[in-house]
Amino acid sequence: MYKDESIPISQLARGKVLGKAILKIGANHAKTSVQKVFVSKQKKEELKLSTEYKNAKLLMDSLGELKGISIKVAQQIALAMPFLPPAYLEEMNKSFQSVPPINRALVRKVIKQELGEYPQKYFESFELLPFGSASLGQVHYALYKQKKLAIKIQYPGVAKSIKSDLGILKFALTRFAKGRNIDHIMNEISQRLYEEVDYLYEASNLDYFYKNFQHPDIIIPEVFFDISTQRVLASSFIEGINLEQFLATKPSQLKRNHYAQILFDSFFITLYQLQRVHADPNPGNFIFMADDKLGMIDFGCVKKVERAFLESYNTLHLSLIDGVDDATIVEQYLALDMIDRASMQEMIEFYKEVIKPLDRIYIEIFLEDSYCFQEHNDFSKRGFETIVEVQKKQLDSVHKLNEEYIFLDRTLLGYYALFEKMEAKIETKFAKSIMRGFASKESLFLFKDMMQK
Amino acid sequence: MKISQSAKAKTKAKIIQASVDLIIQKGFKNASLREIAKEAGVSNPTIYNYFPNKEKLLYGYIEQQHIKSALILQEIEDFHTYTLREQLQTLLETQLELYLEDREFVVQIADMVFHSSTLKIDTLYKTKEKFVEIVDEMLSVAIEADEIKEPPFREYLPLFFWDYYIAVVAYWIEDESESFENTTQFIDHSMGVIEALLYSSVLNRASDLGMFLLKTHLLSALERYSAPKKGFEGIKRKLEGLVHV
Repeated sequence: MYKDESIPISQLARGKVLGKAILKIGANHAKTSVQKVFVSKQKKEELKLSTEYKNAKLLMDSLGELKGISIKVAQQIALAMPFLPPAYLEEMNKSFQSVPPINRALVRKVIKQELGEYPQKYFESFELLPFGSASLGQVHYALYKQKKLAIKIQYPGVAKSIKSDLGILKFALTRFAKGRNIDHIMNEISQRLYEEVDYLYEASNLDYFYKNFQHPDIIIPEVFFDISTQRVLASSFIEGINLEQFLATKPSQLKRNHYAQILFDSFFITLYQLQRVHADPNPGNFIFMADDKLGMIDFGCVKKVERAFLESYNTLHLSLIDGVDDATIVEQYLALDMIDRASMQEMIEFYKEVIKPLDRIYIEIFLEDSYCFQEHNDFSKRGFETIVEVQKKQLDSVHKLNEEYIFLDRTLLGYYALFEKMEAKIETKFAKSIMRGFASKESLFLFKDMMQK
Repeated sequence: MKISQSAKAKTKAKIIQASVDLIIQKGFKNASLREIAKEAGVSNPTIYNYFPNKEKLLYGYIEQQHIKSALILQEIEDFHTYTLREQLQTLLETQLELYLEDREFVVQIADMVFHSSTLKIDTLYKTKEKFVEIVDEMLSVAIEADEIKEPPFREYLPLFFWDYYIAVVAYWIEDESESFENTTQFIDHSMGVIEALLYSSVLNRASDLGMFLLKTHLLSALERYSAPKKGFEGIKRKLEGLVHV
């Protein structure tokens, strides 16, 4: 019996596709080495850069062939591998686009396979054309028992391809890591990806936020577990517009501030009250609704933190805001596994050189009672660059790096990037009071009190 | 006594279902028409009347599934708004879904066709009529609606598509992935290629190229070869001369 071997489905075939790209990368490098002998210094730099762009494009092209999960992997890699040449990161960010579209024939099939009945029979009505794209799939509008639902559908075969994609990427990226250990990064990526392709995992996250996060201005959709599977997620439909459409209405400063404030506060409320945050501040995940309410969707990427970690994290940030001496700060970083134990002098030196630029960025927002992103519209750019610098320096030293700490900082920066787009001004008093309340262990009482205001 | 069309169809369906069940249980070789008749609750003469031999039963099964597919497609709301690619893909998926219920039976047929050659693939051609008819209609509508340009060899395309469909079934039979996801992706990607071919003018261009080559080179070559074999005769004479001298 025959099988079409030309389609990259097996890991071996996938390996071949990428292998071809690696071969090409090698050839590109060789070509420039030959040219380099004959060119000036300045030209050399230019050549190196253009080679990097070509290589980056090659790598991305072959990932594109792997379809499905790969684009998601690429994004994660871009975030987690600061030592990749900037050209690669740029090329990866460009491919932020969506997975292949699921046409009507496939939508029918997936619904029938997952729910046991064709969409037109299962639902009172079902729009076979999607109204939005989602991570690894797309979203459809449906009517079920008189309720308006958003049905998220996953592209078939996505989950299956994670394993082989990760294997290939690890192989390809080890080359750029130059002997650095990337196991922990790959582990983190693979774990988050497995969570992300399992819609039931997302459903339980969504349900948790729906039941436990009460904010007068935030609407979280309700999950319908009886219609949800690993590949289909049904939740109530949230009516509104996205960030781009919202900004196109030329909203007033007051309105923009209002929405940014909701997002900013909710990050700290959920972090300290629920010990988890919505960690995917993609503009598409927030819906601007009528009555100044904000809808929060897509809980595929939720970061959970341990209480002990949160306590150290909070103590440190309060110390930074209050401006205590370096020695105390260093001790607190030590507790967070951001610095290895050495003599105090050595630790302070390492702190000043490597980590301090990062915490300057963090507290810049909190020093005053408000922060205006319209005036500081390069904030998130500076922030991301600083994080990359810190990660690089730390990877080159023997010091370890607390992934969780970096992850939270990076997520927060993602939110700040939104505020920049909105040109909003935020108040930081409330967030700071949450932090102080948490430190004084009165947090729960405090939340209730504040929410009633 | 006259038997109505629908009663006939019902009996036929009953016999086919019985044969599927029995063949899954005992294998094609070991299931006799007699037993199938018993299982279906019909008399021996009746079964021979519908299916003179077991092979005919297999064809009957395939034809019946094609007819079922057509009925399912008819029931889809807004099916006429689907693109040609979506319509064709739905046909394939529907067909496979029907086969899924009798997968073991279909595997046996495929085994006979591809491995033991108990059945010749040519004989399967006899079953394709309904399938080809469905595809043909989809194509006609798409051309009429100006969704695609009239492709060359238009009347052969439904037949090609049937060949492709057989390849899909063969792939599905060998597919060991969970919920046959590989087949789903195989169909989706290969339909992407077919779509690209149908929607672009590649086929037209290719046929233009073919016609050009045919007219300018092949035809003139044919002329040359069909002309009196002067050159050949000449050589022959020369050779003869050599030999004789």
